[in-house]
Amino acid sequence: MAEDRIIDKITSGEYKEGFVTDVEQDLLPKGLNEDIIREISRRKEEPSWLLDFRLDAFRRWQKMPMPDWAQLDMPRIDFQDIIYFAAPKKDKDRPKEIDPALAQTFDKLGIPLNEREVLAGVVAVDAVFDSVSVTTTFRKTLSEKGIIFCSFSEAVREHPDLVRKYLASVVPPSDNFFAALNSAVFSDGSFCYIPKGVRCPMELSSYFRINARGTGQFERTLIVADEGSYVSYMEGCTAPMRDEQQLHAAVVEIVVEKDADVKYSTVQNWYPGDAEGRGGILNLVTKRGICKGSGSHLSWTQVETGSAITWKYPSTILKGDNSSSEFYSVAVTNNLQQADTGTKMIHLGRGTRSRIVSKGISAGRSQNSYRGLVRMGAGAQGARNYSQCDSLLIGSLCGAHTFPDIVSHNSSATVEHEATTSKISEDQLYYCAQRGIDPEEAVGLIVNGYAREVLSRLPMEFAVEARKLLQVSLEGSVG
Amino acid sequence: MGHGRYIDPFLERRPDYVIGQGEQLSLEFVILPGEDRSIDLGIDLAGEGASLDVKIVYLSGYSEKVDIKLLVHHRAGGCSSQQRIFGIASGSAQVGFYGKVVTAPDAQKTEASQLNRNILLSDAAQVRTLPQLEIYADDVKCSHGATIGRLNEDELFYMRSRGIPEAEARALQMLSFLSPVVPEGQQERIEAAVRSILPA
Repeated sequence: MAEDRIIDKITSGEYKEGFVTDVEQDLLPKGLNEDIIREISRRKEEPSWLLDFRLDAFRRWQKMPMPDWAQLDMPRIDFQDIIYFAAPKKDKDRPKEIDPALAQTFDKLGIPLNEREVLAGVVAVDAVFDSVSVTTTFRKTLSEKGIIFCSFSEAVREHPDLVRKYLASVVPPSDNFFAALNSAVFSDGSFCYIPKGVRCPMELSSYFRINARGTGQFERTLIVADEGSYVSYMEGCTAPMRDEQQLHAAVVEIVVEKDADVKYSTVQNWYPGDAEGRGGILNLVTKRGICKGSGSHLSWTQVETGSAITWKYPSTILKGDNSSSEFYSVAVTNNLQQADTGTKMIHLGRGTRSRIVSKGISAGRSQNSYRGLVRMGAGAQGARNYSQCDSLLIGSLCGAHTFPDIVSHNSSATVEHEATTSKISEDQLYYCAQRGIDPEEAVGLIVNGYAREVLSRLPMEFAVEARKLLQVSLEGSVG
Repeated sequence: MGHGRYIDPFLERRPDYVIGQGEQLSLEFVILPGEDRSIDLGIDLAGEGASLDVKIVYLSGYSEKVDIKLLVHHRAGGCSSQQRIFGIASGSAQVGFYGKVVTAPDAQKTEASQLNRNILLSDAAQVRTLPQLEIYADDVKCSHGATIGRLNEDELFYMRSRGIPEAEARALQMLSFLSPVVPEGQQERIEAAVRSILPA
């Protein structure tokens, strides 16, 4: 039974993805300047417009202050003490093959790099190891339908027109400090284009792995769903256990054209640091989609269990009339983890609808904040938003916070926001204890029930993974 | 033991009201049309079992600026607070609400609720609301809610189909919306104010 396996996994409960793969790596020297950016661009054999884009972003970034408005104790980041590019060395004799050590790494993480069926069907994977994409599976099957799914670097080489048209169209380099940094030094990520009227036959998935010490990962993902198309995209991530903190500053852009439907799911399981708060990933991410055409739909689902610090607000601009978007989130923090996460729903078009369901769980000495923005523009006739943000506290040393910002400029729009904060009730624990369920397991059960509305939105593979993660993350938080 | 991010909100400013053990404080405000108003209150629930009840009603129909800031600090355990801020914005009124509830690490058994409801009658008017919860104790029941919306068309239709003129029906809807926060003895003033800001 799957259930038994899950419980077995819980009892072992440490960060099982924390190993390091020993591969020879090609590293750029530490530090950030225009020469480093030129070198990244040269290694990736990029066209000159992209180098100019990077340099322009870098110059803007140098003038920007690091944001400090979040409810986070952010360590000082020395941007000159980071390696901005790390790639596993290619074996010259067989460049077409994947290095067996890398294949093994992904296999250990449960990510199939050979094209085989997993649990509930077929998933195409783009696997990113430090700064480069290792492989993308099922490309042939997908290309028969006209779907482009490849690493970002490849897209730049093979589909420059598409990349140039959509890159930075949703998140401009000047958007914020970390988006500017990413625009200057982004390494690899996924590119996905679904042509008009095509329903993507399988789940697309990107898996990000940080391996090299002292590096930062700057993923750049661009998803374009043309008129009437559909795609479900999943993203997962892990990193080794280390005492120093590592930076992950990604930008994800999603363009949803008329009547298209995009479902974006994340299970974020970066290394959270140890119980004393040493190490862990600083996950500082800008994710934004635009529902460009009428009737378009974008759905965000995220399960955030990892990272020492999470700073992430997947957002939707509802521009097309009658477009709609949802944000479903579970964020778990334990020990000394800090999360400041939420969403923005910017209603511009008529009849646009959005729904926000956020479930925060804080344990240990962690701090967990929901931060959201709902804006009803002057043109958002009859627009509708509903937000529900719940926080669950486990233990008396953690904090749970809610910071919504709601603005309406339209008398026909309706916005509703609701938030509650409470703890697991003694009654619930008592009930479980009566039935012989120990407290730790009972908390796992209750938390899973509490987060169910969000977990049920995840694709099958992810849902199983997410349930396990929730339990592991809360390990040791009771008693 | 130190607690992550918790900072006493009354380190830098003095509270306007301090509620001691077992004491109760009730505050009521009425903001009428034509009135620019800025309310900025800090309230410290400092003694065990203290309780707070805040009711604010605003009616703005011209080009008023209404700015309401509430900072409620649950310093002691076993306290309860309730805040209700209801209002209607029409004309080109600009209404802002910022309401923060902080529950200190030791303020167990806190019960705090805050509800901010707004009706927007014209596109030129604007409402912005920022309800904030900062909770550092676990055995608490804290909630907040905020809405910005319009008058219900079904209700209006129901009343009109029973021969109630449109303006009267709208006035009734607005009065019923505000009724939970209208202070005793203020009914007539509010009624007059509601009729004065009805869009033509």
